[in-house]
Amino acid sequence: MRTSGHAISPMKYRPEWGFVCGRISVLEGKLLSREFFHSLIEQHHTDDIFQHFNDTLIQDYLGPGIPWEDFSSVADQCFYDLAVSIREECPSPVPANLFLIQNDYLNIKSALSGMEGTVFLPGIMSPEKIESIADGDLSDLPTSFRQRVSGGALDLSELDESVSDIIVDGSYLRHLLALVEDIKSPLILSCVHDRVLAYAVSSMWRALRQGRDLKQFADYFIPIGEDDPLLLEIAAAQDPSAWPEAIGGEIGEILLNALQMPFDEQISIFELKVANALIHSAADARIETAGPERVYAFLAGFHAEIQNLKLVVSGRLNRIDRDVLAQRLRHVYG
Amino acid sequence: MTPEWIEIGRGLCYAGAGLAFGLAGAGSAWGIAIAAHAAAGVMREKPELFGRMLIMVALPGTQGFYGFIAAILIMTQTGLIGGGSLKVSLGTGLALFFIGLGDGIAQLFSAVKQGEASAAGISLVARRPESAGRAILFPAFVETYAVVALLATILFIIFLTQPSVLQSIMK
Repeated sequence: MRTSGHAISPMKYRPEWGFVCGRISVLEGKLLSREFFHSLIEQHHTDDIFQHFNDTLIQDYLGPGIPWEDFSSVADQCFYDLAVSIREECPSPVPANLFLIQNDYLNIKSALSGMEGTVFLPGIMSPEKIESIADGDLSDLPTSFRQRVSGGALDLSELDESVSDIIVDGSYLRHLLALVEDIKSPLILSCVHDRVLAYAVSSMWRALRQGRDLKQFADYFIPIGEDDPLLLEIAAAQDPSAWPEAIGGEIGEILLNALQMPFDEQISIFELKVANALIHSAADARIETAGPERVYAFLAGFHAEIQNLKLVVSGRLNRIDRDVLAQRLRHVYG
Repeated sequence: MTPEWIEIGRGLCYAGAGLAFGLAGAGSAWGIAIAAHAAAGVMREKPELFGRMLIMVALPGTQGFYGFIAAILIMTQTGLIGGGSLKVSLGTGLALFFIGLGDGIAQLFSAVKQGEASAAGISLVARRPESAGRAILFPAFVETYAVVALLATILFIIFLTQPSVLQSIMK
């Protein structure tokens, strides 16, 4: 059982982060409140929703000619542009890259599965690199992925799609942990560690629900990092009700609570509660005047905001019940 | 080179004066840079806040002036400013050296920390421009100790070089 998380030491003032943190002070003022999302959910017409976006960070992306069906990609582009713009002003690209690499691995998944016509998600890797991966050129794959493939002498073309997805997910988590080692920030390390653990638990849980054997995770997902013994333990248990005790800490508690929920909602509630917990942890950096933690926290908050916007707009377009949408809203930063 | 010129007491005075304005000046430059970084980042998004942030950026600059004043006062004890050269005993020279050093250290740290407090105030103004008046108070509190250091320096120099003043106060 994991008895304690990473100890978080006080954040240091890092003057080289002063400029970008000054900018973030302004941007934080533009983050949307929880009341904003609730009022958005109550709107009856899409035009009314559009009116609500005045003076928000996404406003410039919503021209009159853009169909609402494209809102998700518009929102992703908004997040990407701001994250890249912030990254350019940071002394280290790590805080922004921790969010930007997510889309790379989704693109890689699509490329390896040979799916045609999938939407390219903006990330660090260019569309050309993703195309060359789809064409079988694996030299452009991220290091964490290449090492796993070459180290395990794996031939991706012969692997089942679900197995290659597991390898991609494992590589993504290794990449996150490798990035966070560079920044030497206890708060970011703690947040990313919990994010990685929760992602691993969620992936295994979903695989179990699909009737897959978790032995595949032991074979292809690991090594991730210091939690490998724990992941092997929960993969061997094959029963989520035994996982909370093994995991322990905040993630274990969230998992335990999620297991009390209706069966069909357990995983989504677990993921939502973890996302909320991570926002709360990251929000400790709001008191920091200059440092990478502030950048990470803002991007975590903005990422949650974009997810909420996508949820509400697509939910309203598809006439999803308002109460359901309200329950699915992530906590906001601020 | 005259024997007076190499007198250790006077040399220590020069060193103390140098440290007083050198450390204070370095601290001010450092503090202003800290605040200016934050202010420039805010102006990237809201250039209209320049006026409200200007005082907070300039605040850490005062320590440089305080250090300059302390250095001048120390230098007057050597007679250099008047164009002559007064004799300074080793004890007085050593005392003035440490007065200059103490003042310099106080000004250095207060300027850097005031820069950080100003940067925090600038963050507040960025989010709530209407709080500019209150935001300026926090770095101003740091200023108090720079002023106290300068006052202490002035009084120590007076008491050290004119003991009669201290005696009349004590009476």
